[in-house]
Order: sequence, then C-alpha cells, then structure tokens
Amino acid sequence: MKKNRLILYIVYALPLPLIVLSICIGPSDVFNFNDALIWLKNHLFCSNEPNENSYIIQTILLNVRLPRILLAFMAGGVLAVSGAAMQAIFRNPLVSPYILGLSSGAAFGAALALSISFAQVQVFAFGFGLIAVAMSYLAAIRQKQVSTVSLILSGVIVGGIFTALLTIVQFMSDPFKLQTIVAWTMGNMHNTNWASVESVFIPVILSILILFIFRWKLNVLALGDQEAQSSGLNPQRSRIIVLVAATLASSAIISVTGVIGLFGLIVPHMVRMMVGPNNSVAIPVNFVFGGMFLLIIDDFSRTLYSFEIPIGIFTMLIGAPFFLYLMKKTKTVWE
Amino acid sequence: MGINNTNLSIRDLSFNYGEKSILKSINYDFKPNKLTFILGRNGSGKSTLLRIMAGLVKPNNGQVLINSKNISDFSLKERASVLGFMSQHHTAIFPFTVLDVVLTGMVSTIKIAPSKQDYDLAAKAIERAGIAHLTERIYTELSGGEQQLVMIARVLAQQPKILLLDEPTSSLDFCNQIHVLTLLKKLSAEGITVICVLHDPNAAFQFGDEFVFLKDGAVFYPDNDSNIKSPNFLSSVFMMPLDIISIKDRTIIYSKDLPE
Repeated sequence: MKKNRLILYIVYALPLPLIVLSICIGPSDVFNFNDALIWLKNHLFCSNEPNENSYIIQTILLNVRLPRILLAFMAGGVLAVSGAAMQAIFRNPLVSPYILGLSSGAAFGAALALSISFAQVQVFAFGFGLIAVAMSYLAAIRQKQVSTVSLILSGVIVGGIFTALLTIVQFMSDPFKLQTIVAWTMGNMHNTNWASVESVFIPVILSILILFIFRWKLNVLALGDQEAQSSGLNPQRSRIIVLVAATLASSAIISVTGVIGLFGLIVPHMVRMMVGPNNSVAIPVNFVFGGMFLLIIDDFSRTLYSFEIPIGIFTMLIGAPFFLYLMKKTKTVWE
Repeated sequence: MGINNTNLSIRDLSFNYGEKSILKSINYDFKPNKLTFILGRNGSGKSTLLRIMAGLVKPNNGQVLINSKNISDFSLKERASVLGFMSQHHTAIFPFTVLDVVLTGMVSTIKIAPSKQDYDLAAKAIERAGIAHLTERIYTELSGGEQQLVMIARVLAQQPKILLLDEPTSSLDFCNQIHVLTLLKKLSAEGITVICVLHDPNAAFQFGDEFVFLKDGAVFYPDNDSNIKSPNFLSSVFMMPLDIISIKDRTIIYSKDLPE
C-alpha cells in the first residue's frame, strides 16, 4: 500500500514539470533551451531578464509547441484509458482501443480523403473509424445479446475488410499521395495546431469524464456478466456506455494523430504493474501516465533527428517487444 | 438481522433448451429463514432452476414470485437487494485482491466508487466467511476452494434476504465443506433464506431444514407410505440402488452396489 501511494504521488506530480521541460526543448535554430526557459520565467514569474527574439520564441512556444504537447498528452491519456477500459469490459488483457476495427477504419477513411483531395482527412478518419466499430458491433449481435468473444472476432474481421480496402486505395493512388497515406498510417503530430486541439477537446473531455465515473464499475464488469447482473449492474448496458465513450475519444484522437499502434495495449499493462489492477486507481493513473509516456515519446520523435520520426513507429518499436514479453509472462492460460 | 418475511414461490415454471424440456411446470413455495437444499442427479435441472430464480435466465413459462411480485418486474437493483446468487464456477482474469472482488458484490449500493464504509462492510463479509487472513491476497492466486469462499463473502457483502447458491462446496475440502454448511445454517438462523443446490445428500440431510428433489425437470415427491429419507424414494431420485443407516438421529445414505 505504501509503495502504491508513493508511486501515485510521483505520477501525479510529474506532468507539470514534464510539460514545462517539453516546451523548452525542440529543434529550433533561432533559440535554445535556455532562451526558452528565460522566456517562460519572464512571463510566468514576471522577472525581467534580457531575452532576444522574444516574439519568435513566444510564437514557437505558444503556437507550435504547446498545442502539440497538449495533444500528445491527451492522445496518450485517451489511448491508455480507453485500452484499460476495453480490457476490463472484454475481460481480456490483450485488447486495445483498436480491437473493433477502429484503426483500420480510420486509416481507410484518411486514405480515401487524401486520394480524393477535396475531402477532409480528419472528418473521414473519424467517420470511418466509427463505421468500422459499429459494423463490428452490429455483426456480433445475436438475439439482442452481444457475447464478448463474437465481438472481438467480428472486430478482427471488420478490421481485415478495411485493411483490404485501404490497400486498394493505396494501390490506386499516385506515388506522392501514397507517401502521404503511408505517413498518416504511421502516426504523426507535426501538423498539430490549436485547431487540432480544439477539434478533439470536447469528445475527449466528455469521454474521459464518463470513463472516470465508470472506473470502479469496470472492476465489476471485469469479473463477469453473471456476477455483475446478479449483484445489480446491467452488464450489457454498462458495456455499451464504456465502449461508446472509449471509441469516441480514441477515434477523435486517431483522426488528428494517425494510427499510434499498440500504445493502448501496453500502457494499461504497465499501469497494472505499478498500481495493481483495481480500476478505481488505475484509470486516472492510465490517463496521467499514458499522457506523460506519449509526450516523452513525442519529445524524442521531434528532437532526436533533424527530420521527424513518426510517433507511431517509435511506439511500435517500444511496444512490440514489450508485448511479446507480456505474452510470455502472463499467468493466465488462454485455452 | 431481523426476521425475514420474504417469500419466494415458483408458479408453473417451465424451461426448454431448444427442443429439450429442462424444467416441467414446477410449483414450489420456499420457506423463509430456512436452509433448503435442492438435490437430484446431474442434468435434472437444479442449476437451471436456480439461475431462473436468480433472474439470470428467463423461463419459457411461469413465474418466480417474491412476496407475490414477479421477479421480472423488479429492477436489477431491487432484485439485488433481495436475491443474492453465487454460481458454481467463476474464472477471474485480472489479479484483483480478495477485498476488491468482495466489494464488487455491493455494486447495487455503490454509486461511483466505494467509500470507507463500503470497505468496512466488505471486510465484515470477509470475516463472516472466515477468510479474514486472505483479505489482501490476490484472488487469481488462491486455490479453487479459497476462491469459492471469496465468492461466498462477495454474495454476503451484497446483504440479500435470499441467498441462492449453486454447489457452494464443490471445490472445498472436507473441513471447509463443513465450515461453509455451518455458515449457511447460521445465516438461515439469522433470518436469511438460503437455497442451495448440493450434490451430496448426506451433507444435505445433516445441515438442511427443507429438501427439494428434482428428477427429469420436475419436483419429485415420495409416495404416501414413504418419506424423503426412505431408501426406496432416494433410490428412485438418484436412479441407483441406495440404502440408509440411522445413527443418533442421523440418516446416512450409501450405495448398495458396493464392491466386494
């Protein structure tokens, strides 16, 4: 218990310093880390140190870096919380927010929009992401009931359909557009501005609030439908509410960041290792820790080289080996 | 805990699984504040009957009444405050602590997250089930028998007036079987109606107040000239030759076909 509490203090204390640090680092040629720090000091604590290029610094910090940092934080938080919630309602620790075909649907939508140039990429990605999830859900309904196994199965199948459609679009696109499509599916945040933050803000806050309210009930759902129902919780209805909230938030995020693979799978596992499986504690930690983790990955992705490494690639390179390790280590035997 | 006036009755209850008839027009009034055992062979419809009473399965025909009100007219929360159900098997996936598992039994009274008071109530239920030493242990790392005791604590935390238990002793060792059956006896004395499916008629006769025998999906009664503890009746319920011996007011049933 004591160890848990210490971890919680650390997790909740870190975001602010991390955000300040992230604002100050970046690949700008005009100013360095120190200049950014002085600018922050001048504006936050009303000190008056001499600062060259103050106006440029202000523009870059506030209009380039800050929205991107906020988006990275929200994206990480949302994917982690949605992943944890989905794992609980499907009673399956290998599930991610993409399990119902969300990522393939969104990627197809984005590709379609990019190939017919008049369409809005974000709107198409969001729309097709939701269409894919709805298809998976409708396909799994039997006599007004949805079994979790058929839902995961139909999700995989629907994901396959949209991946095939995506391939057709890619096959028929010219090389320049193809490059843009591929870049989108690898996850990217270098186009982030305040408009992207604004566009995801409402669905994200709303969904996170719903998942936060349901955090403890996820424990009940994770124990099984029969147990939930006989002690007074409607498992079908609760599952739909959680599913809709997690899907809305993730598809809003994915529509601006592109596909960030495996993130929503691995972070809930890391959090479970840190604070245990009780979702009452783990859901808020998932948001904060997931936010910080993706922010750190994004910091690397925008500063490590002179060109940007897509954030989805970075996450995969960390996520995939970790996933394999988990599969080896997991105690539960899946028969 | 006061005297319980909750009456549970079954009226003309039938259930089919596809073409197969599992329960055939069952009528029964369960006595409040008693420990009732439902006995019968595998496939006689015991578990199905219990699951229908718990509201988990809808009958094709007939009703389950609580104080003359059909359970399908209860909201889930109302039903949970009256009826507690424990299934025979339970598989947990995530490594929750025993306390976390027991708390989930109280979901009908917990709005968003459990309060200090809820934790205390859960701890009391754990103590009542006699597993206080397991409180902080990981549920998935316990033995099958210990897990069964945790699920009993979970349903006790729900504080229902009627307890429906499907084979609560199936994974327990001899001592824990006696421990659980004694607990059920005590609960019924404290004013909870306990209805329990059990395989072992000897244990049932030792602890139970009332007995329901199911055979081929119907309640099976003894003839006028015999009683439920007569060898003829028991042989016909369990469809094998059985005999009894009586020692100190106890009836012990054994198979006639013992190996030489």
